[in-house]
Amino acid sequence: MLWGTILFIKSPFSNPERNDKVKNKISINSPYILMMVPLLAIYLVFYIIPLLYTAIYSFTDWSNYSSVTSFTGLNNYQKIFSDYTLFIGIKNSLIYAVVNVLMQNVIALPVAVILNSKLRFRNGFRALFFSPAVLSTLVVGFLWSYILTSSDYGLLNKMIGVFGIEPVNWLGNPKTALAAIILTQVWQWFGWAMVIYLANLQSISEDLYEASMIDGCSRWKQFLYITIPQLAPAIKINLVTGMISGLKVFDIVVSLTKGGPGYSTETILTLMFSKFSEGNYGYAASFGIVFLIVSILLAGVLLRLFKVWEDRLN
Amino acid sequence: MKSDKTNKKIIHLLSFTLMLVLGLIVAIPLYYLLVTTFKTPLEAAVSPLSLPKSLSFGAYTAAFQKMEYPRAFMNTFIITFFSVIGVILCSSMGGYVLNRKGDSKTAKFIFIMILSGIMFPYQMSVLGLYKVIQGLNLMNTLTAVAFINIAVNIPFATFMFRSFISTIPGELEEAAKIDGAGFYRVFWVITFPLMKPVIATVAILNSLTIWNDFMGPLYFIQSRPKNVILQEVYRNVGQFSTDWTSMFPMMVLGVLPLLVFYLLMQKYIIGGVMNGALKG
Repeated sequence: MLWGTILFIKSPFSNPERNDKVKNKISINSPYILMMVPLLAIYLVFYIIPLLYTAIYSFTDWSNYSSVTSFTGLNNYQKIFSDYTLFIGIKNSLIYAVVNVLMQNVIALPVAVILNSKLRFRNGFRALFFSPAVLSTLVVGFLWSYILTSSDYGLLNKMIGVFGIEPVNWLGNPKTALAAIILTQVWQWFGWAMVIYLANLQSISEDLYEASMIDGCSRWKQFLYITIPQLAPAIKINLVTGMISGLKVFDIVVSLTKGGPGYSTETILTLMFSKFSEGNYGYAASFGIVFLIVSILLAGVLLRLFKVWEDRLN
Repeated sequence: MKSDKTNKKIIHLLSFTLMLVLGLIVAIPLYYLLVTTFKTPLEAAVSPLSLPKSLSFGAYTAAFQKMEYPRAFMNTFIITFFSVIGVILCSSMGGYVLNRKGDSKTAKFIFIMILSGIMFPYQMSVLGLYKVIQGLNLMNTLTAVAFINIAVNIPFATFMFRSFISTIPGELEEAAKIDGAGFYRVFWVITFPLMKPVIATVAILNSLTIWNDFMGPLYFIQSRPKNVILQEVYRNVGQFSTDWTSMFPMMVLGVLPLLVFYLLMQKYIIGGVMNGALKG
């Protein structure tokens, strides 16, 4: 099917020989330019232009309530910074991004090391640990909302009840709701990080370990001084991509807590969506721009940290 | 020497126990999701983790109808299929040019511009995107979501293609050109087939993310006949209901296609994630 489509798309380009000769007279590069066109066109129309539009419309009162849109200067930004929910959103998104990524990796790295050794059923464990990552986050959120519910049938409360622990209202308490969100996402995604560590572990040369054995290194020292530094590329990938996607947290909040109780688990994107649903488009756009600034700052800090670490390793 | 051996045994046993505990933590929610689909609310409340008393698929049939499943499945499939094809076509051609013409200033500029798409998620510009989709008269169409998915996934895929193409020697293309093959023919007949490993990686990773994308349809598809599977899950699950176990078949139907895909292609999916990370 794939090949059929490719052949079909190829045909408008057809008669390549003659085409090439004509093109050669104009410019040697022109066929290259033509091959760039689909990518550039889609990227410009559906990524770059929307970004510019968002920036522009964040300075307007574009909304569902009036047919005229006019520039209102910094109004949206004044409003947004006097709106305390924004800070809750930024705070929650950042806490989520950082804690989630750290917990995932603290679990995934040792698990990957264990599953890289000769352990029985290791392929089965790998497949099982990765499996939640193919599920939709939305559905995972709904599933956990039934597991964590404070209703009589809540599975987790029943299970801890066996040990005599009082039932906890996991999702109804502002103190535990965000933690619950993070734990479900650690449950879902640590297997993904584990697979990336496994890929990296397989590229570490055995010689390093053998040499250190001769020098009388303990296993623990090997782990600290060989495995961890050699895993630097995987650690970097996991932390950077995990943090960036962590800021985007949306689906899980929608299905698990809907931002509640109160505003205690709202994130930047859930707030943006509620402004959008209310029809305050210009105001929602300014959330987008704030989101952009936060992610640039976070990416900048992360890359700086890694540069320091890499310099120290060398 | 002997103590070393017992040491190893202890470490092995400890590791195995640890994996077993973690395995249970991962497996119990999945098991719970599955068994609850066959239970009444009463049965599930009394004995949540026991095997169901009877295996009746009545709840599945009801969920299937309530979600208008075939329609929702086709919509999701159409979006995913065309998005993945689009990403592969755009990024393979683009990555090829950006590699072969990598020294030119324009190519460098374009590459950096595309890379910024990896760093800065499109979610921030969703309002501008709304304006663009409105302007193009694509609101409430599968086409809109497909195009957005292509644009969102182009950066990483282009990055992968661009770095992979450096492993394909240019001499091969030169030779074909000398034999009289035209520029596009050389690309599609010689270069493109050699990119199979990246094509597979990109196809697998993008199928997962695009199939599970909820935010795109949520913003840009409003009418029910065009809803994707996740929108049907969202519409039906989570509302207060005393018949709460009837939600579980819907959740299972929501994740079933990718779960089957995973069971069949597990080796390739995990391999795809590995490749994606190593090159990325």
